[in-house]
Amino acid sequence: MTDDTGRKTEVTRRHLLQTAMWTSAAVATGAGSWVIPARWASAADPIKVGIATDLTGPIGFAGNANANIAKLVVDDINDNGGILGRPLEIHIEDTASNESVAVGNVRKLIQRDRVDVVLGGITSSMRNAIKDVIVGRGRTLYIYPQLYEGRECTPYIFCTGPTPAQQCDELIPWLIQNGGKRFALPSANYVWPHVLNEYARKVIENSGGEVVLEEYYPLDQVEYSATVNKIMNENVDVVFNTVIPPGVGPFIKQLYEAGFQKRGGRLSCVYYDENTVSLNAAHEWEGLASCLDYFRVLTREGDDPFSAKLAAAYDERYSGSVLFTAGSAATGMYRGLKLWEAAVNEAGNVDRDDVAAALDHAKISEGPGGPAEMVPGKWHCRMNMYIAVAKAGQYEVISRSPMVDPKEC
Amino acid sequence: MESVLTIGFNILSFSSIIVLVVLGLGVIASMMRIFNFAHGEFMLLGGYTTYLFYIWNMPIWLGILAAPFVVAFVGLILERTIIHRFYAAPIVAMLGTYAIGVMIRESVRGLIGGLYHQVPEPLVGFFVIGDISVSKWRAVVILVTILVVSGSYYLLKKTSFGLRIRAALENPELARVSGISTSQIYAATFSFGAGLAGLAGAMMVPLFTLYADMGVRFLIQGFLAVMLGGIGSFEGPVLGGAIIGVLTAGLPHLVNPVLADVLVFVIAIIAVKLKPAGLLSMRRELK
Repeated sequence: MTDDTGRKTEVTRRHLLQTAMWTSAAVATGAGSWVIPARWASAADPIKVGIATDLTGPIGFAGNANANIAKLVVDDINDNGGILGRPLEIHIEDTASNESVAVGNVRKLIQRDRVDVVLGGITSSMRNAIKDVIVGRGRTLYIYPQLYEGRECTPYIFCTGPTPAQQCDELIPWLIQNGGKRFALPSANYVWPHVLNEYARKVIENSGGEVVLEEYYPLDQVEYSATVNKIMNENVDVVFNTVIPPGVGPFIKQLYEAGFQKRGGRLSCVYYDENTVSLNAAHEWEGLASCLDYFRVLTREGDDPFSAKLAAAYDERYSGSVLFTAGSAATGMYRGLKLWEAAVNEAGNVDRDDVAAALDHAKISEGPGGPAEMVPGKWHCRMNMYIAVAKAGQYEVISRSPMVDPKEC
Repeated sequence: MESVLTIGFNILSFSSIIVLVVLGLGVIASMMRIFNFAHGEFMLLGGYTTYLFYIWNMPIWLGILAAPFVVAFVGLILERTIIHRFYAAPIVAMLGTYAIGVMIRESVRGLIGGLYHQVPEPLVGFFVIGDISVSKWRAVVILVTILVVSGSYYLLKKTSFGLRIRAALENPELARVSGISTSQIYAATFSFGAGLAGLAGAMMVPLFTLYADMGVRFLIQGFLAVMLGGIGSFEGPVLGGAIIGVLTAGLPHLVNPVLADVLVFVIAIIAVKLKPAGLLSMRRELK
């Protein structure tokens, strides 16, 4: 008998039992929990990978991209024989864009499923809510994949997304050269923009620019005429935006309608990726500059064959779904899983301390946007960074910086 | 000077949006004594209808025209099947309409994949008068609001249909004795209020972004406006909406935006404390 992949299964009864087991497990654990075992069985116990991400709620689109890429990577590892000869079993929990729901669900991963590693969380408030459940009381390894404000220097927490230094150090001098010296920092009122702006302000002032406006708005604000008016009156050259959806779409539209770009103003937004560009019409975000670890345009130019292959595999399996992009933690999720794989291979077991010691200097030679390596003792990773500028609704990469240091911890 | 004109135009256009939102809410609250917590989701449905026309490559203005009718139809069906059971119990009505709202919101969230979508304006861009630039679509929103408010006023105050609605509200027994079918009137009024919400959603979705939670914030501001203006009259909620709109768009010019957000509520609550029945309450309610 063959299973759906065409591979011969050795014992029919075992296959049947296994299927029955995980189906009943899925029923027993209720909605929001998914267990996907490897498609082959082994004498050894599976290694359990916990994914805790926002499958539902306001940032559900990002969470689904995270879960999609995790399934893709884990299937790929399993198809190549697993890790240490053991298959990977993926346990997915929904953190539901809601910290109190998340804590309960992540506890299930730790206490009920006894996973060997947890990857996930997108917002910083989510990371802060679930990190103690995982690394403190849970005594488990935690990998956080999203670009964020930095300053997470806790042992056993490894961050695989870009930090403020990686996003600002190259971009801000470029903005001063290609926009001007007068900066406005309109921002959503939560932790990431506050801390990122602190760093950005330092870089702006050290590069000869000045911040003429720094303002914070309620997260659900959609009317920005007062802000736009101040930006126009203050003769701002560069808008370094950290307003998030739903506000960012109307904000950029109102800025366009006030004639900011027409006057020569430069727009910048460091999380604006290919999943968020649909928020605005092409003429509204023309000239917007972003700095991320990956852009989809890299896959079209033919100069990054690995990124192209990965994007093709993702698009084939999840066509019509949310895209694989940098701004929603999906590239960090890929990096996190592969770095962890390398670390487990080196450690030779899944013991937390052994894996953490190996992960501390883990490297991968290819990934979305290029290779990556952990900076020993810093819990953050070096990666390639790209500056891209919008032209007629598409990003164009205009600058590449190889293996930028995270400068954290 | 240019700056003052720009600020004035922006405040006027945002107030128009809030008035449009409040109008349907006010009609249902004033005429039927039901607080419709699904109002925000009716707006969402209006926005979603417009979005569907956009992705089906049909003219967007057609979507904006169709939205109020689609949502009015949905409102009619909901009234006939569910809402009409709530008239005797206003508290249950709040919970019931809230539940309907959650169902609509989560269904739309599923349909749009949880993403944020832009819908282009039927009139793109801005025109420049002197030194100020005016968004074309915002100008249209202001005009439509004026037309819809005066049209609704005419319908409710000057036509025999409006007279029957008011009669069914003032004294349902007497209205029924006089041969007016109050249940039909209620169904029509609810459907009309829902249609206005659909129109508001369709008009604002090109200005803002389509997302599942778009109705939530406007619903809260809408209720504040209805409380401020006073239930029972047509003018009350409209005036309340205009005031909330001016405060919301105007205060961030004066104080920091997070404070402004809270200040709108503080000012409105103080006003409601001073005039508990609303600024323009009907006299009989004051007795």
